[in-house]
Amino acid sequence: MSVIAPNFKFSEFVKSILDNVFWMLLIFVLIGIPAVMISLFYIDLPVINGELLTPFLALTWLADPSRTLPILKSFMTTDLFRIAAFPGFGFAALLAAGTIFIERKMLAKLQLRVGPFYCGKVEGILQLMGDGLKLISKEIIIPAKADKPIFWAAPVIFVATAAAFVALIPVAPGWVVADVDVGLLAVFAIIGFFPIITILSAWSSNSKFPFIGGIRALHQMVSFEIPLILSLLGVVILTGTLNLSEIVASQSNFPWIIFLPIGAIIFFITILAELERIPFDLPEAESEIVAGWLTEFSGMIYGLVQLGTYLKLYAFAGLFVVLFLGGWTGPMIWPPFPEEIITNGIVMGPITMKIPGLPVFSQEMLNGVMWFVIKTVGVIFFILLPRGVFPRIRIDMLLSLGWYKLIGLAFVNIFIALGLLYAGVLGPGGLL
Amino acid sequence: MADATFLALSVITIGSAIAALEMRSLIYGSIALMGTLGGIAGFFLLLDSPFVAMFQLAVYVGSIAVLILFTVMLVKRELIFKKIEDKRRKFVGIALMLVFMIALGSIIMDSGIKSITTTEPAVDFRNIGADFLTYYWPALILMALILTGSVTGALVLARREDVEDEQRTD
Repeated sequence: MSVIAPNFKFSEFVKSILDNVFWMLLIFVLIGIPAVMISLFYIDLPVINGELLTPFLALTWLADPSRTLPILKSFMTTDLFRIAAFPGFGFAALLAAGTIFIERKMLAKLQLRVGPFYCGKVEGILQLMGDGLKLISKEIIIPAKADKPIFWAAPVIFVATAAAFVALIPVAPGWVVADVDVGLLAVFAIIGFFPIITILSAWSSNSKFPFIGGIRALHQMVSFEIPLILSLLGVVILTGTLNLSEIVASQSNFPWIIFLPIGAIIFFITILAELERIPFDLPEAESEIVAGWLTEFSGMIYGLVQLGTYLKLYAFAGLFVVLFLGGWTGPMIWPPFPEEIITNGIVMGPITMKIPGLPVFSQEMLNGVMWFVIKTVGVIFFILLPRGVFPRIRIDMLLSLGWYKLIGLAFVNIFIALGLLYAGVLGPGGLL
Repeated sequence: MADATFLALSVITIGSAIAALEMRSLIYGSIALMGTLGGIAGFFLLLDSPFVAMFQLAVYVGSIAVLILFTVMLVKRELIFKKIEDKRRKFVGIALMLVFMIALGSIIMDSGIKSITTTEPAVDFRNIGADFLTYYWPALILMALILTGSVTGALVLARREDVEDEQRTD
């Protein structure tokens, strides 16, 4: 007799499983198959190896491991995969999760602490998963007089806006969710949404600390948007395009940080301010105003806001890499896919397995992604580093820094770019 | 497809404009105003001018709507608004708007806009920039002067001699 379930009977257990299987089969036959049949009228099915990929053919091929690759490859060219998985949300969320863990560990080491340690035995590597489970299972408490629709909608819109920002960042040649002609302007337009969401969520919680934090966030973000936009104009002047992929392609010989270091430094400082990171973390100054505009968030709402914040961090770091560090360009060090596997297949003793559809990714793409990730992780490291080093500055110092010094320096950067352009050194038709 | 998008955008734009006027809550009114401005950005996207659409989003939704929201949050509503329910004025206003819209619509429909067909590609924003710096430079200079004048005027108005900042030491 088990202690946990004293009335456990094996026959009952088997019967319940059989019951579930019966009902699932019945529902699938009555509802599932007709729904699939109806939806097939409206879906454009891909053609693979000269055959129309119906669901039945797909199931047949998926059952054979050596024939699944063409299906996966055709799935990878769809918009759904791009938005949800690779250059879009999933990839960014993975990097963001890594960032959270690295940040906690690194900050602990900087402050002579241990940091996450027990969860997952090895250096607390499962701490993040534990935190996620905790956030999902916690109750969401809404303040009594809060404005409920805005309070619920703000975190979701925050994540959606951050994901839209992520969608504009090109990761490898051709691997970008939205390759728009006015990509940089779209970035500016999306950045403009963050202060609105912040102030609305701060106002809707109907509490004093969030409102103070929201007002601070609004001041900070709106005033640092101007040097941010101005600092990027130098790159636009030299490349003559607003498309982010073309900006990366223009840096195949040298990154723009060599010629526009002032612009890169201004952009980095404004990134810190837009992300509300130390030393500019006045909107969520925990020693003054509890947690700033995040005070009233609890449970998964807070989790969504954190996810959005770190997606934004990844997107800004990626934008820095794209604009100043040359994006995916770098020496080709990724090994080429072995030719004999493509031609001869994998030989394991007497068995030879030929896998059609290899290689899945081209060598250029893998190399580009590797360089992009290395550079982005480096930039993220430099964004995280001030948190262990600097104190928080006053809001009047912050605003005078933004309005007097950074804007002035941004104009100096623009004049440097114009000088290089008119001297005939860089830009369209230049020497280099 | 374009027609469905156009209809949806029109419904969003006009609906949120009406909502912005009619909402009792000022915050929701300003959110509805953002919907209107965003809908207009959508129209620009439909008209193949993403450059203007992005500027519409960045300037109107990103800056002006934020200013309106900020002002609304800092103002006590009871001090500046009195609730006047006047059905007669409302209906007269609606009637006036209808007359105006019908008149404008008939003028536009008669102007031959329905028979225009063009195969020219969308104008590149580089050409717009080049035009601004060559043919339309007086307008550009004039705009710059007006903006400078208004910024200077705002600074002069906002300046106060009598406030001493004690905390400031830098």
